[in-house]
Amino acid sequence: MAGPPGDGARPLLEVRNLRTYFFQDEGTIKAVDGAGLSVHAGKTLGIVGESGCGKSVTARSILRIVERPGRVVSGEILLRDDAGGETDLARLDAEGREMRRVRGGDIALVFQEPMTSFSPVHTVGSQMIETIRLHQRLDKKAAREKAIEMFRLVGIPRPERRVDEYAFQLSGGLRQRAMIALALSCAPRILIADEPTTALDVTTQAQILALLARLQERDGMAIILITHNLGVVAEMCDEVAVMYLGRVVEQGPVDAIFHAPRHPYTRALLRSIPSIHAPVRTRLPTIAGSIPHPYNRPPGCPFHPRCPDFMPGRCDRSEPPLLPIAPGQHAACFLYGDARP
Amino acid sequence: MTTPAGGGTRLLEVTNLRKLFPIRRGFLRRVVGHVRAVDGVTFHVQSGETLALVGESGCGKTTTSRCVLRAVTPTAGQILFRTAEGPVLDVATLPRRHLRPLRRQMQMIFQDPFSSLNPRRTLLDIVAEPLVANRVGTRAERVERVAELLRLVGLRPEYMRRYPHAFSGGQRQRVGIARALALNPRLVVADEPVSALDVSVQAQILNLMLDLQAQLGLTYLFVAHDLSVVKHVSDRVAVMYVGQIVELAETEALFTAPRHPYTEALLSAVPKPDPRLRAQRIVLEGDVADAANPPSGCYFHPRCAYAVERCRIDTPRLEPVEPGHFVACHRARELGLRGISR
Repeated sequence: MAGPPGDGARPLLEVRNLRTYFFQDEGTIKAVDGAGLSVHAGKTLGIVGESGCGKSVTARSILRIVERPGRVVSGEILLRDDAGGETDLARLDAEGREMRRVRGGDIALVFQEPMTSFSPVHTVGSQMIETIRLHQRLDKKAAREKAIEMFRLVGIPRPERRVDEYAFQLSGGLRQRAMIALALSCAPRILIADEPTTALDVTTQAQILALLARLQERDGMAIILITHNLGVVAEMCDEVAVMYLGRVVEQGPVDAIFHAPRHPYTRALLRSIPSIHAPVRTRLPTIAGSIPHPYNRPPGCPFHPRCPDFMPGRCDRSEPPLLPIAPGQHAACFLYGDARP
Repeated sequence: MTTPAGGGTRLLEVTNLRKLFPIRRGFLRRVVGHVRAVDGVTFHVQSGETLALVGESGCGKTTTSRCVLRAVTPTAGQILFRTAEGPVLDVATLPRRHLRPLRRQMQMIFQDPFSSLNPRRTLLDIVAEPLVANRVGTRAERVERVAELLRLVGLRPEYMRRYPHAFSGGQRQRVGIARALALNPRLVVADEPVSALDVSVQAQILNLMLDLQAQLGLTYLFVAHDLSVVKHVSDRVAVMYVGQIVELAETEALFTAPRHPYTEALLSAVPKPDPRLRAQRIVLEGDVADAANPPSGCYFHPRCAYAVERCRIDTPRLEPVEPGHFVACHRARELGLRGISR
């Protein structure tokens, strides 16, 4: 990844050429295969793509919580601190002290399914108190106060009572709010939200998105929003990275991605989404074929078998690198110059 | 209810449908209350049209569709279904032994193509199952019919000896559709048929459903929460909230000129895939009302920005405000609500 957009500040987090593979008996799944992206403080990066594109594995790789038999094979995950220091998370011991301090402390994660991310046998408050005390020197009483304060911050009504309840006693929206409170309790600089509203209804989704935007404005944290919902991306993100089969095929400012998409996959994906603005009862343009099975990755550009602009002898021979094509916008496609083999 | 959308006959007519689920507590499992899952729902479906039931989780849309199929027995109300043979039957009260021939004419497409297909059976077994259960044709004829159905939904007939795990989500959903069509049903109930699928696959399945409807003259009762999806397939839309229909209209009218505040909020909450249209969302406060203990008056009043004193006391009835446009709101005629432009 080259050029950060806008102000020229160095990105808070920069992922370069990340490869995360799953080594299984049947073969190797290259879940993430050369992905690169960058996030700036106070900004929201959306990672979009369909199932199997590697967006969640990318997030898990950043936090170094990829489950076996998966492993970060190569690449850099650079986390920068305020003093200008740089840590490559890919080189840290995943179980080590340094990485544990990063997880929850510097970078926090909100999952899709708030029901399964809380323990059913502990109150939500006790789980929060445990997390707070893991990262901050507070006694139990002060940690409890902090938990209540966080609950109030995320808009949970009657927080002093809710902390003593179990996850199953909360509605889906409240549970996701509690999850966000838990993630933010140690004031992370980066919040990774993996499909945070997918399990929720639209009106609840609107509440949670508004909450995330408000908290970002208050704390200036960076958000990495992983979603398949392009509507959510358009509402929330400053920057967008589009992934396909383990690679970022296009990254750019949100307006460019939606109004001047360059990669054929981005274009096709945008055309195929059902739109509330469409005329009643109309057929949708579709993308030819289907996503290949991860064991059968096509050679060359992974999108070439489905691409309307496929150039035989070129796209099926070598992989196009992610190159700048417009200010702040990058695409990995041979349509845009680069004659290098 | 009057005013049909097209000119066709009414295939399905649901009147005052109610389904209460008991809440049991304590050692003796005494009934201490009821969840009013469906609470007085009235609508009809024309032959050949698509009626969408939309709403958030717990609004009763799925229970309504299950009642229509008699997968659950309604507590009260009438479900009149015009059979292929001519007579109109009340599905709500029909004795169980008369249900089987009726079920050949009503089929269902499920939400999750991963759990709705038996992993130990081949596509042939799965698609032929309704034929076997209803003793239709010889084995050779059934194989022939399955091949025809697979071709109809865009799958290669050679695949029929394979198992579901070999197929993607979109292909499995096609198998589910082929199974639903095996007996030439008149009514197809589709409960969130594309919500478990990826965006690019959603488009393929929605197109397939539109094509099959045109080709076979199918009638759809389409249950969904995604209003964008609904706009692509429906002729008319019924919006449900806590067990009741709050608005029912032709799709275009409902989207461009909603008359119920809940519909307005629902439309505005849908994230629009265009960053230039940001920040016009109405964010509703609070949660959906509890169907076991709904608020007084209009169930929506605690979250409604337009609520007045009357809304806390009187329950509004679903009434026509224009031909074919029904709304359950005291202020439907005076409010100017915002819809979706273009």
